[in-house]
Amino acid sequence: MTDNVIEGIKLSRRYGGFAALDNVDIAVKQGEIRGLIGPNGAGKSTLIDVLSGRAVTRGGKVLLKGDDISALTPQERRRRGMARSFQRTNIFPDLTVEQQLRVASWAVPGADIAEVMDELRLTEMADVPAAEISYGDQRRLDLALALVGRPTVLLLDEPAAGLTMEESLALARILRDLANRWKVTVLLVEHDMQVVFSICDRITVLHLGRTLSEGTCAEIRVDPTVIAAYLGTEA
Amino acid sequence: MTSLTASGLPASRRKPAGYAALIAVAVLALAVGAALPWLVPTKIAMSLLAQAMFDALLATSVGFLILQNGRTSFGQAAFFGLGGYAMGVLIARQWVAPEAAVLIALILPTAVAFLLGLVISRITGVAHAMLTLAVGQAFYEVVFRWRELAKGDDGMSFDLPAQMFGFSARKLQDPAVMLVLAWTVLVLVLLGLALFARSRIGQVAAAIRDNEERARFLGYSTVMPRALVYAIAAFIAAIAGILQASYNGYIAPQMFHWSTSGFALIMAIIGGAKFIIGPAIGAVVLFYIKDYAGQFAEYWPAIVGVILVIVTLTMPRGVVGLALMLWRRGTRR
Amino acid sequence: MLIQILNGIVYGGLLYLLAVGLVLIFGLREVVNFAHGALFMVGAYLGFSIAAMGYWWGGLLVSVVAMAIVGCLLDAMVFSTLRKQDHIVTVLVTFGILLILETVVTKVWGKAYLTYPVPPLLAGTINIGGSPFPVYRLFVIAVSVAVAVSLSVWLRYTRTGLYIRAASTDARVTSMQGINVDRLSLIVVGLGTALAGLSGVVAGPLLSLSPTMGNYILIDSFIVVVIGGLGSFAGAFVAALLIGQIHNFGAVYLPWAATVLPFMLMVGILIWRPTGFAGSRT
Ligand SMILES: Nc1ncnc2c1ncn2[C@@H]1O[C@H](COP(=O)(O)OP(=O)(O)O)[C@@H](O)[C@H]1O
Ligand SMILES: [Mg+2]
Repeated sequence: MTDNVIEGIKLSRRYGGFAALDNVDIAVKQGEIRGLIGPNGAGKSTLIDVLSGRAVTRGGKVLLKGDDISALTPQERRRRGMARSFQRTNIFPDLTVEQQLRVASWAVPGADIAEVMDELRLTEMADVPAAEISYGDQRRLDLALALVGRPTVLLLDEPAAGLTMEESLALARILRDLANRWKVTVLLVEHDMQVVFSICDRITVLHLGRTLSEGTCAEIRVDPTVIAAYLGTEA
Repeated sequence: MTSLTASGLPASRRKPAGYAALIAVAVLALAVGAALPWLVPTKIAMSLLAQAMFDALLATSVGFLILQNGRTSFGQAAFFGLGGYAMGVLIARQWVAPEAAVLIALILPTAVAFLLGLVISRITGVAHAMLTLAVGQAFYEVVFRWRELAKGDDGMSFDLPAQMFGFSARKLQDPAVMLVLAWTVLVLVLLGLALFARSRIGQVAAAIRDNEERARFLGYSTVMPRALVYAIAAFIAAIAGILQASYNGYIAPQMFHWSTSGFALIMAIIGGAKFIIGPAIGAVVLFYIKDYAGQFAEYWPAIVGVILVIVTLTMPRGVVGLALMLWRRGTRR
Repeated sequence: MLIQILNGIVYGGLLYLLAVGLVLIFGLREVVNFAHGALFMVGAYLGFSIAAMGYWWGGLLVSVVAMAIVGCLLDAMVFSTLRKQDHIVTVLVTFGILLILETVVTKVWGKAYLTYPVPPLLAGTINIGGSPFPVYRLFVIAVSVAVAVSLSVWLRYTRTGLYIRAASTDARVTSMQGINVDRLSLIVVGLGTALAGLSGVVAGPLLSLSPTMGNYILIDSFIVVVIGGLGSFAGAFVAALLIGQIHNFGAVYLPWAATVLPFMLMVGILIWRPTGFAGSRT
């Protein structure tokens, strides 16, 4: 028995001749918030796609609580407790906020949408079609759709993309808080180092489709290869 | 990009009318229906209105597919014709009891559409329109050439049996009876669709129409709900076909023809495909314009063409959308 | 046998002339032109009227030019104004135009079937593999081949052709690069409808003229376009030949299924590859 909730083994994905993901291993423990960082095009989204079933891996496999789920469809993975959000807002524009959260809740036995709307401050716009709420609200709605029913694993692809610094940090706080209370294991892709260092337990660094490094925040902060490849360009 | 299927649902959809209001409206409409033989002055007018009801049912079928699946069908006549032909052929041949003929005529098109829906639901947009067009025309070609089935091109007359479901079936060809029946069926169908839209599966279907990928990542398999919507739409088209075939005592390949599908689609768009009741309204409006334009009957297709071009260019949400907007503007003051 | 294949090529050639027009228009305007068959029909009637006066070739010329003008008007007045609409709305508008054209033609020429003469120059038959074959049918093949060759040369080796191929791949990007897509599509839609007029005249002596003569062949060319992959010129060529053969061999060997075969093929191919043989778009 393993205490890794989500595990990817030798994940690879090619687009044309280009290896977007090349033999990447990743394992996240129960309750952990794992940061996934790397420059643009490093393969972060591709890794989330492969784990969530949006894209298939060439060879390799995906394990959820020790079970091989590589052959499962996205919907089957969700029913087993894996949820994800999207880098590009992926919501239901015609449905109201409450309607779509309710639809999301029906797929998970015993899900409660009131708590999600409350935690993500969506209650006051419950009756507004998603197309008409602000961008920041849409990002929180995207996250809320994934959080309905308290998934065991949450794969988040830049949930704060396009938000202001304050909004990002607020979102990060909510996330940290919910992950602790609801015992959700999180894999978080995030551009903003400040956000990542503030909420993640460990960090994986991808570069050109490969794992460059993995460790605690403190380790990553001083890792010379990471600094050279990535942090260096930020500073 | 303005779109037929996405975005811009009217504000009234935010808080859907309660079930009570819905049922009340339906009951009222049924009462009006029962009184129609006294409200409509002549047999000819009744006959016209009854035929408008057939159109309304077919247009509702097409519109429902757009509203719930986001798919535009150019071949909905396939199920209209299939219902009519199953009814006509089975009754003319007396292979089964008349009641069974009706049931088969309802089930066969529904089942065909469900199976077809399983495979074609992932095809979108214009390709979907062309594919459904081809499917409909394939049926048309078959009944057109297969003379042994129902006299091919000439079409086939048939006599209704004396009794059906314990009633005198010949009465179906009495305009007053058919009018009340078709009106009642239409009201029940619209009520059923409104209830469907509020049901779980209806809302899941709406979510899938809106964003299929996200629906999958929320744990829904998207094929079944879509196929179900195809089946329901075909069921409605089949009802229309059965009613029309019974009323006329006649079936002909035209029932399958793409122009039948195309006109139904036009009615749906003119009425407003974003509203459950829109297509039915569009059908009735067009039907009466046609009647009014009587002396110009030979120009009728051109008139429809012009109306269609004008409506699509000036009222993207159809007659019902326009009426709703005007009404809102009026009540705001 | 050889005659059968040739007959298949004749029909395939006609289908190609229509389908390539559809592809051209779809490529630039993303419009599936339901009025294309009606334009084919109008072209045939125009040509017929002039041919009836004794100028067969004049009829051909007038019809092609007139349809090119109609195409330009269509693009400027309808397609360009509907650019921002949902594609289905545009499709419906072209359906409306189809209804209008059919009514007008019925009014002018009547509903009765008319017989389009064969030009004296191309009357008669020649012997192919021991069987007589109408010269006129060879002419039809020649016309389609000539169009196919010159079109592909034009698209491949001229600047305009390059732009058209680029715009067909992605009109938005192309217009961002400073190419005038509106002017380009005026050319392209005009050319597409001119080809519809051409095929109408050329097909005239093979089919009988009626206001609905365009419907059947339009649906077959839709099938060609879908099978070939929406927006693919080469795909349309291959698919037109394929459907032409199926059409003819079906009629001879599987008469009960002949008319349904293309539909089955289309459904099968779309299920197997939702974007068609060569296509990448939906
Ligand atoms: N659908 C796709 N087709 C082609 N290339 C892709 C596709 N998705 C991603 N890529 C390529 O794979 C690489 C990794 O992309 P991605 O995983 O989105 O990076 P990140 O999320 O780290 O910025 C990029 O170079 C990108 O261009
Ligand atoms: Mg990314």
